[in-house]
Amino acid sequence: MGMEASTEGAPDLTPQTVTKLASADDPRALSRSLREQPVHKVGDMFHLVTRRSDVEDALRRTAVFSWGAVGMNLGNIRPLIPLQVDPPKHVKYRRILDPLFAPKKMALLEEEVVALVKELVDAFAPKGSCDFHEEFAVPLPCRVFLRLMGLPLEDLDLFLALKDDIIRPPGVTLEEQAPYREKAGRAVYSYFERVLAERKAHPTDDMLAQIMQGEVDGERLTDEEVLDICFLFIIAGLDTVTDSLDCIFAYLAQNPEHRRQLVADEAVIPSAVEELLRWESPVPAVPRATTEDIEIGGCPIKAGQQVMLLLASANTDDADHPGVDEVDLERNPNPHLAFGGGVHRCLGSHLARVELRVAVREFHRHIPEYELAPGTVLEYTTGLRSLHHLPLAFPSAG
Amino acid sequence: MRIVLDAELCQGHGRCYSLAPDLFDSDDVGHCVLLVDAVPDGREADARSGAENCPEHALTLED
Repeated sequence: MGMEASTEGAPDLTPQTVTKLASADDPRALSRSLREQPVHKVGDMFHLVTRRSDVEDALRRTAVFSWGAVGMNLGNIRPLIPLQVDPPKHVKYRRILDPLFAPKKMALLEEEVVALVKELVDAFAPKGSCDFHEEFAVPLPCRVFLRLMGLPLEDLDLFLALKDDIIRPPGVTLEEQAPYREKAGRAVYSYFERVLAERKAHPTDDMLAQIMQGEVDGERLTDEEVLDICFLFIIAGLDTVTDSLDCIFAYLAQNPEHRRQLVADEAVIPSAVEELLRWESPVPAVPRATTEDIEIGGCPIKAGQQVMLLLASANTDDADHPGVDEVDLERNPNPHLAFGGGVHRCLGSHLARVELRVAVREFHRHIPEYELAPGTVLEYTTGLRSLHHLPLAFPSAG
Repeated sequence: MRIVLDAELCQGHGRCYSLAPDLFDSDDVGHCVLLVDAVPDGREADARSGAENCPEHALTLED
């Protein structure tokens, strides 16, 4: 991607524009202006697809809009499974993985997640304040992941450091960031190589064991394939739930009338989670690469080009969904694309939903009233929409 | 009113069966299974809710 990219149509567009869909105070406003054109060409080979109907279409046409051809390097030396694999191979991996993450399986985790949420809340409830990001949003999904995979809690800090060096490495340009990603990537591979060796000697019955027993066309997954799945879990499974928690609780801290609505009626929580995922779109965009010359909304795009499908913009596109420029915690219908769509629909979406619903319900049972700590200026992160800190103040309990 | 599922389009978002679990269910990979063909009287709103919340347009209702 050329850094001195020329732009067409919108003079202030740069390759970083897409990152502002995560970091803007009001990404909806940026989305609205982007949707004035169906496609923005940024530089020589980078395109932003802005409208819901075009995003849906691209998500569905996997032969033309390929994940595998994106060539995104996150410190991995082989394609991440199943994300960076296109159909038909992709389908075979999802056959193994989808049952492990199916809603009925995930519902079984509810009690454990409740206990974990209580433990985290109990630790800061008496203080009357917390950094929600550090003390809740980060540890919750990571601890759930460790439990699922049967990995020791002592490895929490290691996972967090590796994930951060891959997703938010120091440096600004890809070139500056690459060494951090590669180093962390090597550490992820070697960690799981060691774990796999242990598991072969001492089998377990957790999710990792089930993955190791997975078969494609009657053959066991290879060690490399298992590693490539684990690598993806680290970067896709930990950060995104943290981001969603940050986004949801920052919104509720600043919108007490909505917070009181779900405190008064917990039955609203499932639809409130869907609505705030739509509104905040913690994963604002997903990349694809074109495999042939195509046209989107009258804009020609050649084969081999990078395309960013702007989920955040699609989620607030009112062309077919009037009223989506405001928050309605009981919105129905709400067919949002916060978890993407098409064959790459977020594998962990049902796990995420259990974590988010339980977190919202249990947190508010303990701490129904809170606000941003005085003087707080929220700074959302680029790439994935999250917060470095989310200081909350509330009446101290217990 | 009938519910029609296009299983090719379903990607297992699970919105239908979480909203109307007595009309829709999930198979072992989390994709939609119809529990009814004809929508029972009085359940039209839930059937519509299940269909309209599908991000993939996999469910349609026919009169």
